[in-house]
Amino acid sequence: MHKQVAFLILSFSLIVLAFSGCKKEESEDQAAFDRKALLKNYGENLILPAVSQLQSSVQQLNNALLIFTNDLTSENLEAAKNAWRAAYLDFMCVNSFNFGPGGEQGLNKSITEEAGTWPTNTALIESNITAANYALNDFNRDNRGFHAIDYLLFADDATTTLATFEDASRRAYLLAVSTRLNQQITALNNAWTSDYLDEFVSNSGTDVGSSTSLLYNEFVKSFEALKNFKIALPLGLRAGQTQVEPHLVEARYSAYSLPAFRAHYATIIDLWYGRTSTGNDGLGWRDYLENVEGGPDLIASTEAQIVLIDNALESISDSPSLEEQITTNFDALNNLHARLQQHTRYFKSDMSSILGITITFSSGDGD
Amino acid sequence: MVWRARLAQHVFGLRSIAPLATFRVVFGALMLFSTVRFMVLGWMDDHYLEPLVHFKYFGFEWIEPTSAGVMYGLHIVLCVAAIGVMIGFFYRISALLVFILFTYFELIDLTYYLNHYYFVSLVSLIMIFLPAHKMWSIDAWRNPEIKMPEVPAWTINILKFQLGLVYLYAGLAKINATWLIDNLPLRIWLPAADELPIIGPIMATKAAPMLFSWGGMLYDVSIPFLLLWSRTRVWAYIAVILFHAITGWLFQIGVFPLVMIGATLIFFSEAWHLRLWTARIQPKQKEKNTQAYMQPTQLKQRLIAISLGLYCTFQLVFPWRFAFYPGNMFWTEQGYRFGWRVMLMEKAGTATFYVTDQTTGREGVVFNEDFLNAHQEKQMAMQPDMILQYAQFLAEHYQAQGMHDVSIRAEVYVTLNGAPSQLLFSDTLNLLSVEDTWSHKTWLFSHE
Repeated sequence: MHKQVAFLILSFSLIVLAFSGCKKEESEDQAAFDRKALLKNYGENLILPAVSQLQSSVQQLNNALLIFTNDLTSENLEAAKNAWRAAYLDFMCVNSFNFGPGGEQGLNKSITEEAGTWPTNTALIESNITAANYALNDFNRDNRGFHAIDYLLFADDATTTLATFEDASRRAYLLAVSTRLNQQITALNNAWTSDYLDEFVSNSGTDVGSSTSLLYNEFVKSFEALKNFKIALPLGLRAGQTQVEPHLVEARYSAYSLPAFRAHYATIIDLWYGRTSTGNDGLGWRDYLENVEGGPDLIASTEAQIVLIDNALESISDSPSLEEQITTNFDALNNLHARLQQHTRYFKSDMSSILGITITFSSGDGD
Repeated sequence: MVWRARLAQHVFGLRSIAPLATFRVVFGALMLFSTVRFMVLGWMDDHYLEPLVHFKYFGFEWIEPTSAGVMYGLHIVLCVAAIGVMIGFFYRISALLVFILFTYFELIDLTYYLNHYYFVSLVSLIMIFLPAHKMWSIDAWRNPEIKMPEVPAWTINILKFQLGLVYLYAGLAKINATWLIDNLPLRIWLPAADELPIIGPIMATKAAPMLFSWGGMLYDVSIPFLLLWSRTRVWAYIAVILFHAITGWLFQIGVFPLVMIGATLIFFSEAWHLRLWTARIQPKQKEKNTQAYMQPTQLKQRLIAISLGLYCTFQLVFPWRFAFYPGNMFWTEQGYRFGWRVMLMEKAGTATFYVTDQTTGREGVVFNEDFLNAHQEKQMAMQPDMILQYAQFLAEHYQAQGMHDVSIRAEVYVTLNGAPSQLLFSDTLNLLSVEDTWSHKTWLFSHE
């Protein structure tokens, strides 16, 4: 009797194993989602164009700065400022791609930290200029990148700026920062156009280190950075802050925080849909979710919340600057932060949970 | 009183030492491998040295990490002790060190709790009391007087009991509607593995979650018995290898598959183990000048019997404590740990903490990444006891920063098995007013 029962159980387990082993040919019945196609869309239609666009606008910025430093006129200053604004908006579109060639490599931090660290250390910049130190070969990030240029071009009114740039050392520093920025973005673009794109598309698992996991992680981090550092911090909402701190806004001197914020947010929403900046909708997280258990519910709650964030954001105009509105329009900004905060769970835990994406390296529990 | 005599045979009857010697080598080698792996992967820094906060085990709040030098030193001692166990060199001291050091590292931070680490701690505790070095070891080679070809049966059976219990309880835990009828969480996990070579396409099929759910449950509940019974043993062991190879491939579960494949060798017959040893080592020389096993005194026997009885009873009963708590165990996690509940649920949360200085009334939101690594945040965000510990930490941190009369609330949204996330408890509750005890956590909401 025992033997028979045991034998039955054993046979059943083996049949289960064998049966599942034979299922291979029948796999047409699946509605499995094509992650390679997802990564291909992200890589070819969203990331690569964004990186190339940034590369060309940073190049134009560099050219405009060369012209300006060569010929200190108010027209050239205005042209340089415009080039900075355009490049900075393009930079917002690569904020979520801090992996692969945009991630930490050797002594370099991620591209967002390398090129976009603020608040700017103005004292350090001034002392570097005074000491004619343009090497930028230490590990500071807050005396270079976009925000150093933001400070140098926008901190004073045009007349004062033109006057201060009579100093050759100041011109040299500006060009050194711009050259370095240009080199870094060019390297990023070269890596993506040469071989990283293929590597990105082919590494299509869901394990830690896969492109799916890298892209997802940076997508969430980018969303959190938007909420924490671009809104919560200047609003004084971080635990331990005792008052608003308007000086902590991003792109403070150009007063360009709100356009930048909108561009950053738009990039995240485009990533959600898998939509290009020109509006072509391809495969994105949303399409992936449509194909998994619990996905449709999550899509519904995510998009309901996106509407609330959109409304909160639309109620805030670009002028006056964010720095001013921190005090004059606190409630509207606080509401925007609350809407973003409510949204966090959809992107951060609900999505990774039902997509089965592994986000940490440590082992899980075995069976 | 036939059963009593039979039981006595399974405890004090004499058996060949060979299975124990094999187990010693395999277990020591695996401990060495996993300890080296841990260091090479840089986990010492990630897990123990870099985090500002460590989540404590109940009753072990006093366990702290020490300096980097000492921690690495202890890890190297652990490696050496694992080698000592493997080759039987200063075996008892080595086994004791393996148990103490491994358990110390596990107790530092609750974040990294895994059933299989608990299993390793238990086995290394048992190993201290086993005469596994009395043959085919450096100790026995240096000091032939300790050689002893036969050992009391309990020394082998306790290992079979422990292993069998892990499987059986893991299987029993799978007998529930979510696992067997809804096939969750495998319905979430398997499609994510659709790009693995060979088995990937299987995972994406609609039938796979059902087959693997039932197959996994049947495997777990039956495998101890199939391994015990000589006629099914070889087939059962093949199933062990297949099962752990597949799960090891599918999921990120580290060395656990190897541990189980190695440890279940203990179920093979003494003849099989003996052949393994005598075919390789000194086949010509019959072990002559060896000690016969001396049955211990009545008192000692009684002591052994009582200790075994207590240990086994504890192991059998402790995992059932969840039954005393109302509500969904997967949601509240009351009585969840130390119960061999593995890979049973897909759960994740987002936890946002708010700190209020009650003198100024000002509330601030905590950026978790200021204090926790990604793994800590992930685990904390869904486990009530860790949430309370974190709230306590935050209170101390902000009070040290000069805040007075702090209160802390949190918005914790948790998703269980793909269901839409919901609040784990009220987002207005001051977490500092909640004490973590073994009694039912009435402050948690129930799962809809």
